This record gives sequence, C-alpha cells and structure tokens, in this order.
Amino acid sequence: MDFDFSAVLDSWQYLAGGLGLTILLSLLTVILSLIFGIAVALGRMYGPRWLSVPLVFYIDSMRAVPVLVVLIWIYFALPIVTGISLPPFWAALVALTFHICAYVAEIVRAGISSVRAGQTQAGLVLGMSEAQVMRKIILPQALIRMLPSLGSIVSITIKDTAIAAVIAVPELMKRTETVSGQSFRPMEAFTVAMVVYFLILFPATRAIDLIYKNIAYRGRS
Amino acid sequence: MSTVAAQIQNRKNADQTPVVEYRSIRKQYGEFVAIGSVTARVNKGEVVCLIGPSGSGKSTLLRTTNALEQIQGGELLFDGKPLPASKAGIRQVRQRMGMVFQNFELFPHKTVLENITVGPRTVLKVSEQEARKRAVALLDKVGLADKADKYPANLSGGQQQRVAIARALAMEPEVMLFDEPTSALDPETIGEVLNVMKRLAEEGMTMIVVTHEMTFARRVADWVVVFDRGNIVEQGPAAQIFDNPQAERTRDFLSHLGWDG
Amino acid sequence: MNLDWSVVWQNSGALAQGVLITILLTFCTMLIAIPGGIVLALMRLSSSRILSGISACFVEFFRNVPIILLIYWTFYVLPVFTDISFSPFGTGLLALALNVSAYNSETFRAGINSIRRGQTEAALALGMSHMEAMLKIILPQAARRVLPVLASTWISLFKDTSLVSVIAVGDLAHNALEIRAQSFRVLEILTAMAVIYWVLGYPQAKLVDRIYKKWGVKE
Repeated sequence: MDFDFSAVLDSWQYLAGGLGLTILLSLLTVILSLIFGIAVALGRMYGPRWLSVPLVFYIDSMRAVPVLVVLIWIYFALPIVTGISLPPFWAALVALTFHICAYVAEIVRAGISSVRAGQTQAGLVLGMSEAQVMRKIILPQALIRMLPSLGSIVSITIKDTAIAAVIAVPELMKRTETVSGQSFRPMEAFTVAMVVYFLILFPATRAIDLIYKNIAYRGRS
Repeated sequence: MSTVAAQIQNRKNADQTPVVEYRSIRKQYGEFVAIGSVTARVNKGEVVCLIGPSGSGKSTLLRTTNALEQIQGGELLFDGKPLPASKAGIRQVRQRMGMVFQNFELFPHKTVLENITVGPRTVLKVSEQEARKRAVALLDKVGLADKADKYPANLSGGQQQRVAIARALAMEPEVMLFDEPTSALDPETIGEVLNVMKRLAEEGMTMIVVTHEMTFARRVADWVVVFDRGNIVEQGPAAQIFDNPQAERTRDFLSHLGWDG
Repeated sequence: MNLDWSVVWQNSGALAQGVLITILLTFCTMLIAIPGGIVLALMRLSSSRILSGISACFVEFFRNVPIILLIYWTFYVLPVFTDISFSPFGTGLLALALNVSAYNSETFRAGINSIRRGQTEAALALGMSHMEAMLKIILPQAARRVLPVLASTWISLFKDTSLVSVIAVGDLAHNALEIRAQSFRVLEILTAMAVIYWVLGYPQAKLVDRIYKKWGVKE
C-alpha cells in the first residue's frame, strides 16, 4: 500500500475552484431557502385553505422524495416539459432550494408555534396589529429558537451540494472525481476531499452551537 | 333587586360615570358555559377585585374586557360605548386599557427598557427619545431604574411583574386589568408587586384585579365581586364582603381560604 | 411532446427489484446502526477518556462529510485497506451504516442526558443498583425521546439510499437511471422514479408525524 498525494496536491488550484463553487452554491441555496421557507411557513399557518393545503402537500412530498431524485428530475425531465433547459449550476440551485425550502418551512413553523400564546396576547393588549405582533414579538423569538435547526440546515445544504456532482456541476465533489480519474489516485483524491469537507462543516456546526448558547435566553419566554 | 340597589347606594364613587360596564355577559366554549350571566360595573377611579374559586369565570370576564375573549351574549360598555366589532376599533380600545398577565409575558428578546418602549413606539408612534424618557420615569416609579438594560431572564419574578406593570402604564391607559398578577410569584416577591399596585390605586387609577390575595382585596378594593361557577354570587364594598358576607357561597369560599376577618 | 408511459410497465420488473433493494438497504443499515449508535453513545458517556474521545471523533467525522463522498470513499479506500473486495451493496451498506451510526449515537446520548439527575437519585434512594436504575428507570424514559428521532432518521436514511446508485448498487434510483439511458424515455422514467419514491416515502413521513404527536416530548 503506497500513498502518493502529489498528483492531488498539484491540482490544488483546480480543487480550490471547486470548493469556491461549493460555497457559492451553498450560500445561495441557504439564502433563497430561508426567504422562501419563511414565506411557505406563514402561508401554511395563516393562509387560506386553497394555499395552505397545497403547501402542506409540497412540504410532506419533499420529506418523502430524495434530493437526488428532485435534482435529476429538474435537470433532465423539466426541460422536456417546459422547453427551457437550465445549465447544471442553476438546475442544482433550483433543485436544492426547492428541497431545502420545505425543511426550512417546517423549522419556521415549529419555531413560531413554540412561542406561547401569551406572548401574542401581550402584544395585542398593547394595541398592536397582528402583523406587528408577528414582526416585533413572535418572529424574533422564533428565530432565536430556530437557530440550532437553521444551523443544521447550513450543514445539510453544504453536504447536499456534493450531490450536484451527479449533473456535472464543477463543484468540489465533481472536481475530486475528475482528479481521481486523471491521476488514477482515487483513494488520495477522495480522502483529501473528505478532510476538506470536514474542515468546513465541523467548525460551522460548532460556531452555531456557540452563538446559540450565548443568546438562547432571549428566546425563552 | 332591593339588595342590589342598597349595595350600589353604599358605593364610594356611585355618582361617577362607569368606565367599564358588564351587562348580562355570557361566555361559552362550545357547550361549556364559562360565564352564565354577569352584570357589574367599574366606576372611574375605583379598584374592583374579582374573587372566587379557580375556574369560576373571573379571569374569563376580565379577558372579555379587552376582547381577548369574545362574548356570546350581553353587552360590554367601555367609556359608555359598546366594544367595537372591527379589528381596528378593538386595537383602539386596547390602547386605552393596560393588562398585566399571571405569567408576566415580558418579551424575552428585548431589554427591560425596550419592553416598555415597544408599545408607545409601534402603536402610538411616539419618538424614540420621548418613549425612553417615559420608560425611565416608569422604571423609577416601580423601583427598577437600575435594571433598564437587563434582559427579562435576568430578573426575579417580582421584578419581571413590576416591569410588566410599567410596560402597561407606558400606554397611559384609562383602566388597568390585572389577571392574577401574583399567582406565579414566590411568596417573598409578592409584596413588592402588591405595593406597586397599591400605590397605583392611591393615585386614582381605575383597576380591575383578579386575585387570590384576600388581604390586598380587603385593604385596597373599593368594590369586590365574588364569583362561583360562572356567576356572581355577591358583590359589594370590601368591608361588607369580608366582614359581613351575605351569601352562603361567599362564606364558604372565604372560610376555605382560612379568612377570619 | 409525445409521451409513452408503456416503457414504465415494460420495465416494471427492474423497477420493482430496485424498490426491493432500496428497502432492504434501509433495513440492513438501521439494523447495524442502532446497535452501532448505542455502543458509540455508551462509549461517549463512559468515564474512560480514551473511549469517549474515540467515539467523539468517529461521530463528528462521519456526521460532517457528505454521504455521497463517503460512499465513493468507502468504494475506493476499503478494498485497499482490507484487501477484501466488497460487493457494491456491501460497500453502500457500510458507508450508510457509518453515517447513520454517528447520528444515532447523538440521538441516544441526548435521550439519556435528557432524563433528569433526580430520576437516577430517586431510583438509587429506593435501593436500586446503578444498573437497575439505568435499565428500569432511565432507559424506558429515554426511549420516549429517542423513538421519534429514530423515526426521522429512518426517513432520511430511506432517501439517502438513493445515493448508492453512484457506485452501481441496483437500487431504485440506479435501475431507473439505467432504464432511462437505454430507452431514452427520460421524462416518463424519471417521473415514474419520483412517483415511486413518493409513494414509498409519503406514508413514512406521515407516520413520523403521528409518532411525534403521540410520543414527542413537549418542552
């Protein structure tokens, strides 16, 4: 058994470019999922039936179907239906957002319903409108409570972006495969990638835990 | 009828205009009747205490006052006018009533000062500076001037409840509603909250207080309403209710609490 | 756009076989990962710093790498280290088991930690041994907390099995992608694949909700 990391390390710029794309894709997915996820959660909780029923169906369906399946369907099948074919990166962004948004919506709903009814009443008796109560009283507390779960969304997203390699998005996972194939050093290539992913994901989860510990009391009513 | 008339004759502020009037109020949850038919009034400058066993409907009646609970029958007058039906109308009314909850319900993500300014700022559109000034004065009044920048989680229960009172007062309400304000407190901090309430009463604030603190009711209340199973069994001046109760149920309730006058 | 759904029926055998492999893989992984998780959790909670350190490293590492990469890594690295060539199924099983064991370990640890100290003390005060207290008092209570989380993990696992398709395990995703390549009926086959996953996964998701309602602990 001999190790030779030189071929992999020689390609570090190529791999770093892949890492950049992984981070970009993760960042965009998280931001879009947060925005749409809050909207979906509010629509589900307070919207009329014609809106809330399909939203519940959408959320539960995303919990049931693998992200790989959503990704492949959007990349290969959607163009046949719509006639518009998305480049791999954009197909991955759409698919990941579509999938992760449902998880965010569930987290937001749980966060909002965990703030007890007395808080709403305390806002209402001051003469606030329901929208003001939601914006000033409920959402800020709910967001603090959601922080640990939203933190895991960040790490889930980074991990899920690796699946985009399947549709040839040139992110870290895909470029690792390429280096592995060209250098005939798969073990070294994949080991390096594992370490790189770990070095990003582990501090990310730790940092969120730490932040949460310092502000948790502001969400306790 | 004659006894009711006699009772009302005794009333300190009988000539005053009523601030809140409950006329044959009825409240049901599905089949369950929480309030059968309740008639009572609260005059300007009075402290009215609602007492009675748990589940007798006193808290429910209090919460109908600012429409946290909808009524199914009767009429509720505030300042001589029925409660409005529109959401905007109800918001207007709520701005003129302060409410203090059993569990304080301070906003945990805001500092003590922000808890007090958030109402005036968002609802009355008072300037930041003005709201702060008023909040500082109110904190001073409830004896917590040094806690302005703390978060609620860092305060004792009694301190939290005093902040909650300041928060309600910041809206400059015409009447204050207290829903068992000391029931969630440790015995040693009950006194500090009752003292703040007593001072408020002395300043002439109109107050409706649901409470189990009989000593407070006896000393501070102008008028006491005794509830049992969704109805009023007796109402009258505090002296009469505690020293010379007319109804059997009132005597039972008071002796149950160990009240011996 | 002309659609020809007959391709789905013509290949129903291969799809059904894929479903079977997907379910089998989910079952076998959980079968390994529950004992695996318990062992890791007990190591983590043990007083030996070495055991607890090993467990912590294992758990943190396998939770914090993408599963698809873990599958590739197991596929390429395992034969080199062990000199045994695993079947694709065995490789996929091992990769998933490493990941899910790590998650289960955290689930069990949180479950045990969630039971108040007073409960152990109350049991000891009744004259129970530490072992009896653990078995009769702590674990049954912890089970209530653990079961709903395990159910969620089950669903994630069911979905993650689709990733073993990249190393040619004959699961549902892999078989569907093969048929797509041979038949060129891309829309029909991919839609059928999505629908089959949905039909399998949706009742599971609903079941998890019911388990949470029944067993979930309210703070």
